[in-house]
Amino acid sequence: MFILTVCGMGFGTSLMLLMEIQDLGNKNGFTIDGEATDLSSAKGKNADLIVASSEIAQELENNDIPVVPIINLLDKNEIEEKVLPYITEYHTRGG
Amino acid sequence: MLSFITGVLSTPAFILGIIAAIGLIALKKSGSDIIKGTLKTIFGFIMLQQGANIIVSSLVPFSQMFESAFKLTGVIAEDNAIAAAVQNVLGTETSLILVFGFIVNVILARITKWKYIFLTGHMMFSFAATMAIVFDQMGIHGWKAILLGSLIQGISSVLFPALAQPFVRKVTNNDSVGFGFWGSSLVWISGWIGGKLGNKEHSAENMNVPKQLDFLKEMSILMGIVMSIIYLVTSFFVDTKLMNELSGGQNIALFAIMQAFTFVVGILVLLQGVRMFLGELVPAFKGISEKLVPGAKPALDIPIFYSFAPTATTIGFLFALVGGLGATLISTMLPVVVLPSVIGLFFMGGAAGVFGNAMGGRRGAIIAGVVLGFSFQMIVALAYPIIDLSDYGISGLWFASTDAIIVALLIRLIGSLFGITI
Repeated sequence: MFILTVCGMGFGTSLMLLMEIQDLGNKNGFTIDGEATDLSSAKGKNADLIVASSEIAQELENNDIPVVPIINLLDKNEIEEKVLPYITEYHTRGG
Repeated sequence: MLSFITGVLSTPAFILGIIAAIGLIALKKSGSDIIKGTLKTIFGFIMLQQGANIIVSSLVPFSQMFESAFKLTGVIAEDNAIAAAVQNVLGTETSLILVFGFIVNVILARITKWKYIFLTGHMMFSFAATMAIVFDQMGIHGWKAILLGSLIQGISSVLFPALAQPFVRKVTNNDSVGFGFWGSSLVWISGWIGGKLGNKEHSAENMNVPKQLDFLKEMSILMGIVMSIIYLVTSFFVDTKLMNELSGGQNIALFAIMQAFTFVVGILVLLQGVRMFLGELVPAFKGISEKLVPGAKPALDIPIFYSFAPTATTIGFLFALVGGLGATLISTMLPVVVLPSVIGLFFMGGAAGVFGNAMGGRRGAIIAGVVLGFSFQMIVALAYPIIDLSDYGISGLWFASTDAIIVALLIRLIGSLFGITI
């Protein structure tokens, strides 16, 4: 599964978010590929899922890829609650 | 053969590639991941340098224009571009300070109660370059510069997050991450002042910021607009003969806008390069520190605070722009004019808004933004004489990170006690 994480600049926040999600995947037995990127580059990229901080998530909502907005980027539980269902669903579909 | 090896070790792109490879091997990654990570680090680094070349090429005619128009020097505060531009002369020092500074950081986090691991990669890089430049200017080179630079970088990496933490706790209600950004002191001081003068009862988050301001969230768009205005206005005041010479016959307004956009593109290329090499280095650094320091707290980049108060972020940024413009006006009376540095105002202003709001509501956010924007640029205007970048062929740029400037100033003061002057 390929996950795009997005923040305003594309380093820092999005990178941490990606590492968090990859950890989460590992704990549940899934390998996750991904890329951390900024808002402008994200629009031209393909992925199975986009995870972004809530204030920029709405700007990404015009395409076929599901977008998960994260309100508190420091809250591991929020990330797990919102992202894990997508990961599990993707893998049970045999993605 | 020997010249090949020394050549590799004095080429920063390769040094960072090797560091990434070592990190990935230490984390027991697969062969394919190691090759990918190493090469992407190298490509990213070269991309960063090319971005710096584009920025410098668009600033050279601008500096000439500005000097001819206003008989003053105009600078934009932008760290990454400076750091990238000095890599041909101080690349080895910079990359080794980056690595050894990180090692000092890990050791301090392990043995002291300050468990912060500074992980904001582009800032680690620009701070290392700042150290290399400061010591180079003081006549300290080679291993001495690397040793002193690494120690100072390591200490700063735990000290600044530790100073900011009481305020971070207020904003996030959380003690698990730190503030890893070399403008943290200015951000929390601005927020604190906003808190003293504000009223916590009226949170900025109960306000509605018009949808039409949404485009401001794209830094590149805003920077394109601000830079075009700066270039265009300057071009009106330039002697026509010089202007025609610079533009090579192209329409002057068009030339000014093209140069402004080229500057922005340079920043975008540079940031793309940073993104590419940090994507490989930061996870390696994080993996290593987690193994060595139990209970480590990552000190992270500034945007982690924005989601706590998105409206206050926009308010903080807008009012930082106001404060910054005020400082630009006042600096016209000083030897150097500090032009609005969109990146710095955008990121630090946004965070100052969040901190100001947490401590003093709506009014707190507004005041924090103004204070931040004004002092951010005034500090640059006042500290400008302490580091001369013209030796490295850089004009029109100066350092932006307040914390790094404070540290550089302290080094200079201590140096002068030992009789080392500029």
